[in-house]
Amino acid sequence: MNRIIETNAPEEFVEEIGKLRGALPKRIDANPKNVEKGLAKLVLTLVELIRKLLEKQAMRRIDAGSLSDEDIERLGETLMKLENRMKELKDVFGLKDEDLNLNLGPLGDLM
Amino acid sequence: MTMKIYAYAVIDSSDKIKGPLSGTEGAGIYSIPYRDVGIAASDIIDECLFSSAVKDIGAGPAKDRALTHEKVIESLMENFTVLPFRCFTVFNGKEDVLSMAEKYYSGFKDNLERLYNKLEFGIKVIWPGDIIRERIMRSRGKNNGLTSISSPVKNFVKEKLERYNIDKEFEEEADRCIEAVDDLFSRFYVEKKLERLKTNKLLLSAFYLVDKEKEDDFKRLFEELKNSPGDLKYLFSGPWPPYNFIHLTPYPEKVFGAAQEMFDKGASAQRVERRLMRLRP
Repeated sequence: MNRIIETNAPEEFVEEIGKLRGALPKRIDANPKNVEKGLAKLVLTLVELIRKLLEKQAMRRIDAGSLSDEDIERLGETLMKLENRMKELKDVFGLKDEDLNLNLGPLGDLM
Repeated sequence: MTMKIYAYAVIDSSDKIKGPLSGTEGAGIYSIPYRDVGIAASDIIDECLFSSAVKDIGAGPAKDRALTHEKVIESLMENFTVLPFRCFTVFNGKEDVLSMAEKYYSGFKDNLERLYNKLEFGIKVIWPGDIIRERIMRSRGKNNGLTSISSPVKNFVKEKLERYNIDKEFEEEADRCIEAVDDLFSRFYVEKKLERLKTNKLLLSAFYLVDKEKEDDFKRLFEELKNSPGDLKYLFSGPWPPYNFIHLTPYPEKVFGAAQEMFDKGASAQRVERRLMRLRP
């Protein structure tokens, strides 16, 4: 079988594919010392997913012009408070934005 | 020390595998027949499997084992249609292999027929994602009217809305590029699997299932694409075993039999669908 692997930008592909390898699921480290942080990471990832979905849906509605000025003001305030609260929670558990993700195997990353 | 069975692939023949073919740890490859298919396998001592090297597939003995796995499948492809197993697929014994074969036999047959005389090719495309995003931002910057900030909340909403619209335009541009690349190859593939924007720069990871007779045409088209002017960079690989085109359901005849029975009893399509969803593995 004459297999070929050919590219006009080898270094760029090594770099990009390297990023994907980094996203592969790591082994579960069931260390009792960091179980609390692990649980917080999992819960906050799901909360962050819901927050982003809410935000996207809100932007879609604003963009479509289906909300009044009062609605937009109220929605904006809620989203802003949610974002600030998430920042505080991330700080409490020492988590960064990139920590809040889950690899779903063949489905790719959650976010 | 226990002997286990390392499985490489399902093949479309229950005959013996001809010629000496070595697998993991140098063990000979043989076929375990089940009805009219076979499972290409070799014996392995279980201690080998749990060596520390298995932890990292990118280096050391684990990497060698992964390469051997791939090499065995390639050799098998020369004479058979193959359904490759994932690397390090190990069974406790022959009975377990046969039990698995019984469970998936019908699916094996469907896939072997569908993938007969087919090869998989991969194409990855990099685009200048950062430059495109910047260009979109520049073009929007002229018209977005962000200067009239009246309150922190409105400012927050405007920023979010702006980001949402930039992301939307970015994704629309990505879709246009992907469609252009995919259209070029559409004459030659029978099935495809496209993954878009896995990273900001990795625009497309495409997997194409191609008839063996069209292998050269497919490669030639890639050469043309690679040399065409533009900002896109390409990586082409193949032919590979059809890793991305195997769809298996255990006991599909039972699943479809159950669905048929429900239809016969007058169940609605939605109810049958719900039941099928529950039966899926």
